[in-house]
Amino acid sequence: MGLLSRKAKVKRSAGEAGLGITRKYDLLPGRSYVVEEAPPDISFDAFVNIVSTAGRDGTKTMGIAVSRQHPDMIRQKYGLEQTPVYWLATRAGEDVIAPTNLGILTNTIIQFIEAHENSIILLDGFEYLVTNNDFTKVLRVIDQVNDHISQSRAVMIVPVDPRAFDSKEIALLERNMERIGGKVRPG
Amino acid sequence: MKILVVDDSEAFRKVMIELLVKVGFHEVVEARDYNEAVEVFTREKPNICFVDMILPGKSGVELTKALRDIDPKATIVAMSSIINKKMIKESIEHGAKDFLLKPTNEIALSSVLTMWSD
Repeated sequence: MGLLSRKAKVKRSAGEAGLGITRKYDLLPGRSYVVEEAPPDISFDAFVNIVSTAGRDGTKTMGIAVSRQHPDMIRQKYGLEQTPVYWLATRAGEDVIAPTNLGILTNTIIQFIEAHENSIILLDGFEYLVTNNDFTKVLRVIDQVNDHISQSRAVMIVPVDPRAFDSKEIALLERNMERIGGKVRPG
Repeated sequence: MKILVVDDSEAFRKVMIELLVKVGFHEVVEARDYNEAVEVFTREKPNICFVDMILPGKSGVELTKALRDIDPKATIVAMSSIINKKMIKESIEHGAKDFLLKPTNEIALSSVLTMWSD
């Protein structure tokens, strides 16, 4: 698949096996959430908890994660076996999305939302995307994905390190998203 | 409501206790390993125990089993910094009610406490 420079293939997920634990995060379908935190602990905890547990109505949620962290590391730490995990990087390889290829990133996420009735998207690496593009372009990606989310039962979580942005940028990001309280761990 | 936190890291216990106080649970006791946890559990009779799965010496799974042998109604929540499905399954089979990923946060902790504090 290389750097996914052509058209990304949508990955269907069979979903994670239930862990037999409780659903701890009550995120509403059709909404996107921004979590101001560093490192993205709450975001990953929420994502993993939701894909590994059944909702109130007993339905499973399929997840897709995009991150700056290597997929092998994410799979090992969070026990994700079935969930597609994409690596935001400039290296060639399978399941790699180049940070400058915003079109492929957008399509991959949107196709996943359309292929699954209940889905959750974790978009980790917002800062990296902004450094490789510019804030407005990345915000446009978020807005585009948001449009699809609001017409579906999908949920998106975007962790953001508030130290990397000014208040105007944070306000623009939060315009169409709900905020979950986070924390910033000192260096 | 009394809560027992079992973890070999003093720093983690401190953070966890601060978080518990923040979400309204002020009566917290702590232990750093299997033996100390059994002793504190027997003496203090906590309502909920947060048990790290990886402890020096005997594991969190063994501790879960021991605490449930002492009190079959004990409410135990397993904790770990990685999601090892085999370990979570084992601890649930031995009586743990739930699992928390470390480092935990206010939202996840409140949710677990609401679920199991009755």
